[in-house]
Formats: sequence, structure tokens, C-alpha cells
Amino acid sequence: MKPQSIARLASLFILGVAGFILLLGAYLWLETERVSREIRAREEQSARAEVMAGLKQMQSRADSLARALALWDETRQQLVFTDYYTLWRDARVRDAGMVPESVEAVGLYDKQGRILVAPAAAHPLLRQVPGVAPLFLLQREHGRSYFLVFLPVHADPDGGILLGYLGLKFDYARELRQVRTYQFADLGKLRVDLPEGSSVSLAQAPTYTRYSTYLNPDRVAFHDLFLTSLLRLMVVILFLLFLAAWLLQHLLVRPLRAFSAEIAQLREPGVHLPGKSYIVPLAVLELENMRHSFNDYQMRLSALHNNLEQNSRDFYDQARRDALTGAFNRRAFDEDWKSQDEDRRLGPLALLLFDCDHFKAINDTYGHQTGDLVIQNIAAALLEALRSADRLYRLGGDEFVTILSEADSYRAEVVAERCIEHVLSMNFRQYGMSEPATISIGIALSEGDGITLHELQKRADLAMYTAKRPGSRKLVFYSEDMGGMAALVGNREISAVFQAIANPDLIELHYQSVIRLPMEIREYVEALTRIRFEGELIGPGAIFPIVQARNLDMELDLAVLRALERDMTLGRLPAGQGVSVNLSAPSIVNAKVVDALIELIHKQPGRKMVAEITETALITQIEVASDNIRRLRETGCLVALDDFGSGYSSLRYLASMPVDLVKFDISMVRLLESGDRRQCLMMEEIANLVVTAGYEMVAEGVETRELLDKVISLGFSHAQGFYFDQPTAPNEWS
Amino acid sequence: MRFFLLLLLSWNCLGVHAEPVELTMANKLVALAEYRKGTPNKPAVILLHGFLQTHDFPTVHSLVAGLVDAGYTVLAPTLTLGVTYRKQSMACEAIHTHTMRDGMEEIAAWVGWLKARHHGDIVLIGHSFGSLEAIAYLSDKHDQAVTRFIGISVIEGRLTLDAAQTAHLIAEMRLAANSGEPRVVVHQFSFCQRYQSTPKGLLSYLEWTPRRVLDAAAGLPVPSLFIMGGRDDRLGNGWVSQLKVRSRVKIIEGANHFMDGEYEFDMIDAVLAELKVS
Repeated sequence: MKPQSIARLASLFILGVAGFILLLGAYLWLETERVSREIRAREEQSARAEVMAGLKQMQSRADSLARALALWDETRQQLVFTDYYTLWRDARVRDAGMVPESVEAVGLYDKQGRILVAPAAAHPLLRQVPGVAPLFLLQREHGRSYFLVFLPVHADPDGGILLGYLGLKFDYARELRQVRTYQFADLGKLRVDLPEGSSVSLAQAPTYTRYSTYLNPDRVAFHDLFLTSLLRLMVVILFLLFLAAWLLQHLLVRPLRAFSAEIAQLREPGVHLPGKSYIVPLAVLELENMRHSFNDYQMRLSALHNNLEQNSRDFYDQARRDALTGAFNRRAFDEDWKSQDEDRRLGPLALLLFDCDHFKAINDTYGHQTGDLVIQNIAAALLEALRSADRLYRLGGDEFVTILSEADSYRAEVVAERCIEHVLSMNFRQYGMSEPATISIGIALSEGDGITLHELQKRADLAMYTAKRPGSRKLVFYSEDMGGMAALVGNREISAVFQAIANPDLIELHYQSVIRLPMEIREYVEALTRIRFEGELIGPGAIFPIVQARNLDMELDLAVLRALERDMTLGRLPAGQGVSVNLSAPSIVNAKVVDALIELIHKQPGRKMVAEITETALITQIEVASDNIRRLRETGCLVALDDFGSGYSSLRYLASMPVDLVKFDISMVRLLESGDRRQCLMMEEIANLVVTAGYEMVAEGVETRELLDKVISLGFSHAQGFYFDQPTAPNEWS
Repeated sequence: MRFFLLLLLSWNCLGVHAEPVELTMANKLVALAEYRKGTPNKPAVILLHGFLQTHDFPTVHSLVAGLVDAGYTVLAPTLTLGVTYRKQSMACEAIHTHTMRDGMEEIAAWVGWLKARHHGDIVLIGHSFGSLEAIAYLSDKHDQAVTRFIGISVIEGRLTLDAAQTAHLIAEMRLAANSGEPRVVVHQFSFCQRYQSTPKGLLSYLEWTPRRVLDAAAGLPVPSLFIMGGRDDRLGNGWVSQLKVRSRVKIIEGANHFMDGEYEFDMIDAVLAELKVS
């Protein structure tokens, strides 16, 4: 069956009940009318029976009266001696109480039926007995109806001696009314349909007697009351039905329809409960319970939905968060920025790329747990330094990035400096670290010039690599002159580095002279690393950022040692020519690298070998480094502390490690040319300190005579720089 | 006890030997009577009822029973009083056309009827006005078969008039009777306050004044006894005393006019005692 709406069902129900009530009312009405007709018929029948009984009683009474009169001695007396008959007829018979007042006339007849004395009364009897007595007649005379009785009067008790006849005349209607009480027959307007002057036997009286039937007042009242009550009841029931319909409509149908409509709306996305029908209390208990139940269900569903959404958000957030630092991860960065069309042109903003300096060394020195703490602290410091709206992403390892919207170079620099300061303010010593952890920041700006995010990130990479370079500022903005480096940090350069490590023949060592002072003679050369890849020469500016970023220091140093051995073996480096080689901080604490260098020294006896340990690298394992340096020196190899003054400049290095040479960084040497007295004085004092400590000093970046003279005056034993020569390939070197 | 015996007697006498009798009088009226045939060697008794009564009157009925029980032949007629086949006592207000003479003639007719059936003596016994009717009959011309008369509670034909008034009334009635016009008069007579009668009829009774009754009673041609109740309140003052002056009177002390109740036996005893004498 097709489902019907509650409104239609309710209407059908109400109409059905109303129809049933109307039919029932009509049935009761008709039944009442039928019963009333039957009662009326029975009443008329009872009235007829009453009249019949009345006629019999009237006849019986009249018969008794007439017989008593006929047996009365005085009646016989008058039939024998008639002298005083009229006195007897008019007075005596009534005075003696022999006939009641209802008798209109009484008379005696002789044996022939003739009346004794001619009638003179107002209602006289017939002059002649109209038949054989006894007779009971109904007569119509002068517009009135009479009841006549004629009886024979006998002298003897046996009735053998007829004396005459007795006649009585009654008012028919009055006599009939008096003989009994009538409950049904109304004889008030009794009439007799007989021709004037005619008479019939009393047995035929019912045929000619006309009367009405009482309307039973109780029955009529009950009938009227019942019909009136029925009508009122119908009106009341119909009114109640309409009231019920109204209540049904307002209490059940409308709420249910609204309820249903709002539930139906739930199919549409974006519609949420509770709606109006869920707020307004319902009058019907079951509906109210259903509403409560549904609301509770919806609340639980909503709560579940919210929990799911929260979980989804949490999962989504967790998926976008770095578990270690709480910063957003690369996925979030990709979704926030790279999911956009890479060709999309950016507006004015600044991309800051953060990288922890020497993080691999920290990991190797203090363990990964400490490394994780360092990363967490750096992330916390960066988050504190950034604006709340700025998002910090951890791209991987120790690399973080943030993008400052609507930021120019000044603001980007302020934020970057704040980041550096916050990192420096962190207490890393609590983790057992002897050195502070620092960060390098590469900044690339988009000034709405149509640059893409990919390009911007690439620029920030270049700036950050630049910042990573020894002696560079830790905060570096990308500049156009870094464009040359761009290719080196591309996929091609990285590939070149890896292939060079795998194949040291790709490494092309250039050599620069280290001059002995003050004689100004070349004492040895410094091997400088270049990579010949696909016909192009890749310089250190592109190589070492990749190496540091990829933590390839040890591998590259091993490859360089093999390339140096190759040059020695191939004679590219003249026999006996002293040579210095750079070792990174990770390499100096690595036995494999140190063993390789010692093996090379042993293979090239008589050649002066200098191992330059960069001072910019964080050497955390001082004891191991000292042991390895000692092993190298035992082979006759000299050890130089490279880039002194540009990196950590830890005097502990100088005091702890048994080096032979201290190679001042070009930034330090050039202080002598700054004209700043204080800087010159400090340089002089440091040089004096180093010399006093027993070290020989090498000055880098000497490009002029004046500078050479100054370093000579300060006691430098060696100098290096363009003033003497530029790094050249072996085939160009003489 | 007496009442029980009376009922027993009534049953024995009335239930077995009662014989209704009809007798057509000279005026063609039929008179009714009750006839009880008794022992042949005992006198027959004719019992006459009181004024306007029938032979079914209780006092008469009691006497019939007592006499029948004693073996007497009894005839108790009902005077017609102008009504053929009269069976009912007549009301004072009825139209009375009968006269004293009519009654005397009907007594004579019944004496003749009885004499034809009974060859012995006949005793007339009257109660109340019946005694007066019997006195009138005996005083006029009586059958020789009638040998004794017993009057019970004989009445004086009482009027509430003094002698002068009575005389005036009688004269008035005579005048009316002699006029020949059929008319009726209504007057107090005997126990009737409104006695309606023809003047002739009333006159016939008025003419029997108390004095005439006393004289007639004293001069009856047959032995007579008057049995009177000591407490009869229907009689005039001094009537019994006057009667006793010249007639034999037996007083039953305590009895009333109808001798009913326990005095019935005294009455019957007195009657039987008188009959034994004859």
C-alpha cells in the first residue's frame, strides 16, 4: 500500500468518524421515528381496546341498572296501576336512586311495546320499543348520540308473565366516558357518524364512533427530548470531532510534518539539527519523547560528528605536523604552498629558509637524542621569534622554512635576526653541549614581480648556502649575483658531487701557493677541490654547500685524497712538492680519513704534507681529533688550523689541538686593511698571542704588497693569496 | 348457645319444608307467601309481618322457625301493598296506593287458603303493624277458623300529632280522597318521616287511632295475648300500660320492638306457651 501522509490519514479518520456519527445519528433518528410510529399504533390499538371495553362495561352497567329497575317492585307496581306513572317516572324512580343522573330518560312500555305515557321530556324515549327486547342501541338524534336500553319486565321470577318493557336513555358519549378511565382513547371530542334519527345495535357502535387517541405526553416528551438530545449530541460530537481535528492538526500533524520536513532536509548537505521543531516542546507525550529521543540521537550524532571532525582535524593536523618539533612538516608546506599551481605568481612576501649549522657533527658528537633536543629547541626558538600568524615548517633534518606575507626586506631581516637571537639565547649546555647551536638563514623576497614559489624557494636555498659558507653572514638575502650558484645547487650540481665522490677522477684539484715569509718563496701548495662534470668545472662555492647540506664531508675528503694521490702518481704534482689538503671537522675525527691520509703520506715519502683542519667546522670530539692530529704529526705531516677567526674561533681548539700552523681567515687578515685601529690592534694582539703560543701563522687572502708587509710585520710565517698566484690546474701550474 | 340452636332450627325447618305460595287476589294482584306444613293436630298459624315489610323480616322468620320446629303449620304471607309478586319491603317514599282494607282482604284470602289445607284451628300472629292488620281483620268479620290471636309488639299507628291535629288531618285526607282526583300526599306516618300515599290509603290507616286500637284489642272476638318488649322504643309513651288495662299482655323484659337477639327465644317461648293453652 502506498504510504499516505499523516494529514491525509488524520483527515480521512476524522471524516470517517464524522460520517459514521452522522450515519449512526440518522439511523437512531429513523429508528426512533419507527418506534414512535409503532408505539402510536399500539396506543391507537389500546385506545380501540379501551373503547371496546368501555362499550362492554357501559352495556353491562346499563344492563345491570335496567335489570335492577325491572326487578324493582315499584316498576311492576307502575305497569299494573299506571295512575301515578308520570310521578314515578319523573320523580320516584330518581328519588329512589334507581337510575343515575346520566340517564337522560326512563320509561315503561306495555306488553305491546307502546310507551305508557307519551314522552314530553327534552330527550324523550322512543314511543315504541324498536325490536325484541332486550335491546342495546346507539341512536343519533338532534345532533346528539344516545345509548338506548330496552328490557322486558316480568311479573314472576321465572319470566313467564310479561308485564311490559323498560326503556332507558343515556348520553352515549358521557356514559362511555364515565364507565371507565381511558389512558389512550381521547373521548373529549367523541362523535358518532350516524345519519340523523337512525340507530344501530350497540355491537356496531365501534364502526360509527369516532374519537382520537391521547398523545402520551411522556412518550411525546421522550421522543422530542430524545431527538433534541440526539441533535445536540450530534452537534456536540461533530464539534468535538472538529476540535479533535484541530488538535490533531496542531498537536500531531503539523509537528510530525515539520519533523518529517526537517528530517528530510537532513539529506541536504550543510543542514544541521536542531531546527525549530526540535526546540519547541510538543504537546503529545509520544511525540515529545520521540523529539527528545531524536534530539538526543542527533546530539550524540552531532557530538560524534564533531569528534570525528576533531579527530579528522587532529589527524589532519598531526599529518601536517612534525612530531618532533610541533612545527608544520613538509607535507603541510606542500599543501599550503606547493599544492598551488607552481606557475602562480606570488605577491609580496619573504621566504626564510633556516638550517642548523653543523647539525651532523652535533648528532655524531652528542648523539641523536641530543640532536633531537637541539632541533626541538631551535624550533621552539623560531616559533617564539615568528609572528603568531606565521607558520614554521620543518622540511626535513635541520631545515626549517617560513613565509612572511606582506613582508619587505627590512621586516624579513628583523624577523630573521630575531630568530637568530632566539636560537642563540637557548641554553644548549643543559644537554652537555660545549658549543652553541647556530642557524643559517637564507632569505628570498618576492616583490610581486611574478616569481613563483619554486623559484623563490630555490633562491632561498642559494642564500642559505651562501650563509653556510665560511666567513659568511648567517643571514643572507638572495641577490642576483648568486645566480651563478643557482645552477650548482640544482640537480646537476648535486649529481656532480655524488658522482665525484664515487669517481674521484671527476675531481680536478687546483693548487695555490703558500709562500714562506719573509723570503717569499713557495713552500708548498694548497690543493683546492673542483669537479669537472660534463665538461664544466664546478667550483667550491657550489660544492661545499651541497657537501655540508648532504653531510658528505668525510666522503668528499676521501675522494679528494684519492684525487691527490692520483695527481702525485701521475706527476701532476712534482715530486717533492709539498702540498696541503683540507680536512673537514668530521674527517679529522674519522679514523678512515686519517688512515687514508697517513697511507698517502707513506706512499709519498719526502714530500711535505700539511693537513688543514677547517676552524669553521665544529669539532666536538677534541680528544679524538687531538689523537688523530698527533698520529698525523708523527708521520711528519704538519697540521694547520684553517679559517681561524671565521668560525667558532675557539681558543680551546688552539689550546687543545697540537697544530703546527694557524691559518688566519681572509676576513681576519683583511681587518688589517680596514683602517680601524681597534680592529688592527686586535688582529695584532691575536697574531702576537698565536706566535707567542708557538704556532706559525699563515695569512690568507693576501692580494697586495701592503697587506703582505703588514702580515710580515705581524710575524706571519706564511702567506697565501692572489698577490702570489691564483689556484690553477696542475697542467697550468709550474 | 341459643343462637346456635336457632341456626340449627332454621336449617331444619327452612331448608326441608319451605314451600313458596302464590295467591292471586281479587284485584288480580299476585301475593306471595311461605307455607310450612306442620303436625295436623296442632293449630295452623298465620304470621303477619310489620309495616311495609315482607315475610322475610327477621322477627317473622324467627317465629316461623320456632313454630315449625314446634310442629305447627305456618303460613307467612307478604301483603302485596298494591304490588303484584311483591318480594321487597317497600320504601316510605314509594307511591303507596294500598289501604287497611286491602290488607284485611288479603288476610281473609290467606285464611281461606289455609283453611282449605288445614282443617284445624288457625291462630293469627302479627308483628308490629301486622298485629294491627290482624286486629282490624278480627274486628271486622273474621273466619271462625281463626281461634286465637297473638300480637307481638303491637303498634298504635303512631303520629306525631296531638288528637286535634290528627282529626284535622283525617278530615283533610277524607276530603282529598273523596275528590276522586289521583293524587298523593306525603306525611309522617308510623316510622316513616315522608310517607307518600294516596289520601285514601293514608286515611285508611289514620282512622285506626290508638284509642280505636285499644278498643278493638280489648274487644276481640278470639282469645288474644299481646307480647311486648320491655325496651320497645317505637311505641308511644304509656301505650303498653294502656294496652294492659284491658288486654292480656306479656312483657319480655329487656326486649326491643323486634325481639331480636337472645329475646327471640323468650318471644318464641311465650308464643308457644300461648299456643299450648289453645
